[in-house]
Amino acid sequence: MKISGSYFLPLPPEQAYQRLQDPEILAGAMPGCESLDKIGEDEYRMKMKMALASLSGNFDGKVRITEQSPPNSFKLMVEGSGKVGFMKGEGLLKFTPKDTGTEVSYEGDVQVGGTIAAVGQRLIDGTAKMMIKRFFDKVAA
Amino acid sequence: MATTTITKTEKLVGKRIRRREDPRLITGTATYVDDIKMPGMLYAAILRSPHAAAKIRSIDISKAKALKGVHAVFVGEDTKDAGAVPCAASLPGLRVPHHNVLAIDRVYLVGHPVAVVVATDRYIARDGAELIEVDYEVESAVADPEKALAPGAHAVHPQWPDNVAFNFHQEGGDVAKAFAEADVIVKQRIVSQRLIPNSMETRGVVADWRAADRTMNLYTSTQAPHLVRSLVAQILGLEENRFRVVAPEVGGGFGAKIQTYAEEILLAWISMKLQKPVKWIESRRENFTCTIHGRGHVDFYEIAAKRDGTILGIKLKLIQDLGAYFTILTPGIPTLSVLMMPGLYRTPNISADIVGAFTNCSPTDAYRGAGRPEATHGIERMVDMLAAELKMDPAEIRLKNFVRNEEFPFPTATGLVYDTGDYSAPLKKAMDMADYDKLRKEQAEARKQGRYMGIGLCAYGEICAFGPSPATPAGGWESATVKIEPSGQVTVLTGISPHGQGEETTFAQITGDELGVGIDDVLVLHGDTSMVPYGIGTFGSRSTAVGGTALYYALQDLKAKVKKFGAMLLESEDVTLAGGKCTDNKTGKSVGFKEIAAAAYRAMKLPPNTEPGLVATHFWEPSNFTFPFGAHLVVTEVNGETGDVAIKRYIAVDDCGNILNPLIVDGQVHGGVAQGIGQALWEQAVYDDNGQLVTGEFMDYTMPRAHMMPWIESAHTVTPTPVNPLGVKGVGEAGTIGASPAVVNSVVDALSTLGVKHLDMPLTPEKLWKLISAGRQA
Repeated sequence: MKISGSYFLPLPPEQAYQRLQDPEILAGAMPGCESLDKIGEDEYRMKMKMALASLSGNFDGKVRITEQSPPNSFKLMVEGSGKVGFMKGEGLLKFTPKDTGTEVSYEGDVQVGGTIAAVGQRLIDGTAKMMIKRFFDKVAA
Repeated sequence: MATTTITKTEKLVGKRIRRREDPRLITGTATYVDDIKMPGMLYAAILRSPHAAAKIRSIDISKAKALKGVHAVFVGEDTKDAGAVPCAASLPGLRVPHHNVLAIDRVYLVGHPVAVVVATDRYIARDGAELIEVDYEVESAVADPEKALAPGAHAVHPQWPDNVAFNFHQEGGDVAKAFAEADVIVKQRIVSQRLIPNSMETRGVVADWRAADRTMNLYTSTQAPHLVRSLVAQILGLEENRFRVVAPEVGGGFGAKIQTYAEEILLAWISMKLQKPVKWIESRRENFTCTIHGRGHVDFYEIAAKRDGTILGIKLKLIQDLGAYFTILTPGIPTLSVLMMPGLYRTPNISADIVGAFTNCSPTDAYRGAGRPEATHGIERMVDMLAAELKMDPAEIRLKNFVRNEEFPFPTATGLVYDTGDYSAPLKKAMDMADYDKLRKEQAEARKQGRYMGIGLCAYGEICAFGPSPATPAGGWESATVKIEPSGQVTVLTGISPHGQGEETTFAQITGDELGVGIDDVLVLHGDTSMVPYGIGTFGSRSTAVGGTALYYALQDLKAKVKKFGAMLLESEDVTLAGGKCTDNKTGKSVGFKEIAAAAYRAMKLPPNTEPGLVATHFWEPSNFTFPFGAHLVVTEVNGETGDVAIKRYIAVDDCGNILNPLIVDGQVHGGVAQGIGQALWEQAVYDDNGQLVTGEFMDYTMPRAHMMPWIESAHTVTPTPVNPLGVKGVGEAGTIGASPAVVNSVVDALSTLGVKHLDMPLTPEKLWKLISAGRQA
């Protein structure tokens, strides 16, 4: 599934870029994230709890940041699997100065499989959008 | 001069007798597999792949094994000696994937069994399965048969990079000449989408191995218990005479329970390993992903005709979505479509090419109609398109091309011999019932008002009563044993395995009439290999036409013997058996059926050259299939604002030969029509590009519900078959076969004012609304 959108952060691009790579900020902002531990350069192990439709479950996964080009763009990869299936997402985040802040635009692809795909496919689009909005709201806060 | 005493008896055959199996079903006292409980029984849960294509790097079962209550965990490596899932269909050059009961080093569909956990209860087993950690190396997948055949597609099986399982060609007559001489050629790509069979009862197995006796008892929800016994015994190297398969109450099958599945082999294997009875019950979600699917055609049709509407020839290129591996009949199903290609029409020129494509999906196999609904949908759409092209009425073009009554037995271009028929009769009857000419006037009026009203016809034929043994992969005969007990009650053992078709009633009707006893004195038993000598099972609308005929002949043998004992007791040579007694035709004296039965077992005196007891067994081999036919007429109106299809009238005129029980025939037609409408309007198995089944539950897969069904006006014409003495043809699949083209033809007719010539199923409101909106803007 393709996802794309943008969000306005009231911070200059350099700060926005930094904030979106700060493990503590990411851990606090990612919905359902229970822990985020650094395991390598720009690579983290993540535990998260996700709920979709009638399903909820714990996911073990990884977050990786690649193709860094500060303060313009980087690529974020998130993947996880659990008892209710797996999810895999990849997105390019772009930072463009706008007014007094930064417009963060993202474009990517989300894949889900297992029970979540069979049961929750119809809701994934809406849920993904909702989760992304919550994420940025927390990053901005 | 002999005088005939006429005993007043009412025949049971032909009457609307309520199903004798229903009381136990509606009072909840039937025994299904899940109702079977045994001391010390364990429960199995299967861990299945969430990926459509992946290598298995490693499997860690330690946590599952450590869970309290878990007795054992097995993975693919452990079950290598348990063999592969069997396929009985064969074709020249067929590539058959070896499908182990548990995946060994890679998975190739979502739902592929990877490991099994056996525990003291089903909840612990499931919890255990969730503790297994599998490290997958995920690969890309292909879930669409056309994409699978494109160059560079992911190979479902690495040894066959083109994803082609087989190519099959069949032709009859001279197609090239027919097309060269044609005034008009119509071409169309027609999709018969993948469907998911859903019976009320999912699959389930209980396996009980008794080592001391080397005896296996396997209880399974199947349509073919003897076939399961022969195959699983062979696969596991067990003795067939010590292998008992029981199909207890089976809550529906529709073809999805003819197969011998991995779980039947696996459970028997586990029971032997653990020396304990083991149960597995399929969850509904497993049923969606792991039981077979149906249909899955992409058809490219070409039909050639003269300007007067005479069909000269038909060409078909058929791409069959086979899925990732084969179950019992997978590659054989599209060959049935080819056999049925000409429909009811005379055309002698046919050419068909099938490409069987592997995809990372569930295997396709027989689903109610199995190959014939796809073929009928194709030909009946093409005939409608041809009529539109030639500006002919769709009824007229059909009547012009039907095989004529005097041409039976009619050899088709595909090698069949149609037994008997009067193909115009049901169509004319349906048109009379609908008042066809008046309907067309109403339609013209509706169009003036801007309403989308459609009239759809379908004249279908089908291949039933499977079948002559040489034409089937595992024998096509059927058996029956009839026992008259010493008390005079009658027990019938049949080799078919009914699971909703009502033969406990119809076979009792046949028996009652032949032996002259009441229906309540007859008990029909089935579905237990230790009780029934052997049998093929229930599928392909064969039960009454083949199994009922075996019963009929067994009854003839037995009737002769009963009359011998009756004649002996009456000291007569000319007796009649009817009304629960044997009567001397000369004197009018009679002896009761019960007295005769008692005398046959007491054996104080025996008729000449006669053995004691009253038991007869008959194995009957049919000489041909039967070919039922019919016409469905559907009036629809499409709501221009919502795209919703309202079925205003549904008229089904079916000719299944003689009718033994009109109530049961109506029930079969109603159920079949419901499934056909389901395919036409709502149902579709959807996989995403990664091979994930996104219609994996009833929220996303639209099964027809009672409130979505129209009133069905059911009627019949009766053309008995000469293939069997009962004159019956079969009706189990008729409704499904007639319904989808009739509904789609009706909706295409409704929207023809917008320039619509063809629509692929399912005709969802969304699809039609978009089309109407675009049409209105144009």
